[in-house]
Amino acid sequence: MRYNATYAPNTAIFRRILYLEETNMSQQNSDHEEHYTEVPSDLVLRVKALESLLVEKGLVDPAILDVLVDTFENKVGPRNGAQVVARAWVDPAYKQRLLDDGTAAVAEFGYSGGQGEQLTVVENTASVHNVIVCTLCSCYPWPVLGLPPTWYKSAAYRSRTVIDPRGVLSEMGLDLPNDVEVRVWDSNAASRYFVLPERPDGTEAMSEADLAALVTRDAMIGVAKVATPTAEGVS
Amino acid sequence: MNGIHDMGGMQGLGEIGYREDEPGFHEQWEIKVFALVRAMQSSSLRTYIESIPAADYLRMSYYERWYTALVKRMIDKEVVTLSEIENGRADSASEKATPAVTPAVVHEYLFRTPQTELDIELTPRFHVGDSVRGRNIHPTTHTRMPRYTRGKTGVVERDRGVFNLPDVEEVSSEPKPQHVYLIRYTAKELWGEEASARDSLYIDMWEDYLEPA
Repeated sequence: MRYNATYAPNTAIFRRILYLEETNMSQQNSDHEEHYTEVPSDLVLRVKALESLLVEKGLVDPAILDVLVDTFENKVGPRNGAQVVARAWVDPAYKQRLLDDGTAAVAEFGYSGGQGEQLTVVENTASVHNVIVCTLCSCYPWPVLGLPPTWYKSAAYRSRTVIDPRGVLSEMGLDLPNDVEVRVWDSNAASRYFVLPERPDGTEAMSEADLAALVTRDAMIGVAKVATPTAEGVS
Repeated sequence: MNGIHDMGGMQGLGEIGYREDEPGFHEQWEIKVFALVRAMQSSSLRTYIESIPAADYLRMSYYERWYTALVKRMIDKEVVTLSEIENGRADSASEKATPAVTPAVVHEYLFRTPQTELDIELTPRFHVGDSVRGRNIHPTTHTRMPRYTRGKTGVVERDRGVFNLPDVEEVSSEPKPQHVYLIRYTAKELWGEEASARDSLYIDMWEDYLEPA
């Protein structure tokens, strides 16, 4: 199959389309207010051109694009996973359900959707540390963590986490003692993983909501620990 | 395919570029590409992403690959023409389509958990505790068997159930359902004597990827 390296549109035509869009944009949805005070980058142009083509052809409903963008920008993200983790820390029966069937347990919070159909929760303890990677692409548990950060999709993280997990974690600021067992989970099939981090010391008196505020996305990927809170904040 | 996307175990691919609390998107065009792909229901872009020539794949940012694969797929499936992409306007012969995702179904489309496990009874070839070896195969199609598992021996930890083999999805109209197994490999088996004796790697493998060890 022959590949066009860029699928670049004719730039002059798109400048005109963008100009026309801008001139009647005040009536449009505010989400679309992208003012090109500078020359837009090649990719901005190409994506804008593709969007207008697909809308013109009736293949895409512009209102759907707004819903999709809003959902993944504002509604689905690691705060979902943090609530799940905090519940598992305070409720042993919930924790057991979570480890038995991640998809069903997160559905108790109303979290569901694509990339969450075979959710496997792996538990970090004092002796076992789990870390998640997708060597072939970027598989990630969207319903609980949202969309993955750039570093998770980087060639370096994807390639090295399987062969040198301790080195990768150390570079990211997490030095694990030699007597801790490291388990790497390569998300290559239907299963999506997320890590149930260790509950930090000194949090015995904290409420579930306060605990959830401590939990970071990176701890649920397994590249960080949840830090012990201090009087000044999280240490 | 032994493509550049099959990166597990490679070295020298640059910096991880780790930043705490990094967002999933940096620029608006990136989330727009994501939304266009979802709105077109192009869930199976992997074959197209993996076919991007290696030098281009490494040069492109993540969502540029998505853009390129989406356009390539739409041209291949005759949803758009190359001249439409180049002109940014529908060809005069183009008929107005109906969107795949409409406002009436978008919520269900986003939040209904898909059923990928198949409700089919098949006799499993392997069982929990079996030693299995990754077969020395080199499919030219899309595959979910990373090359670092070839020839390596691991142990079946769990039977995940029955799923369609991804290798044939784009190239055959005949689905190939089979058992998928969670396999545990020791780090030493995969990476040699230098690796930590405590560490291990877990990965799901379709039955076709495995042979008895």
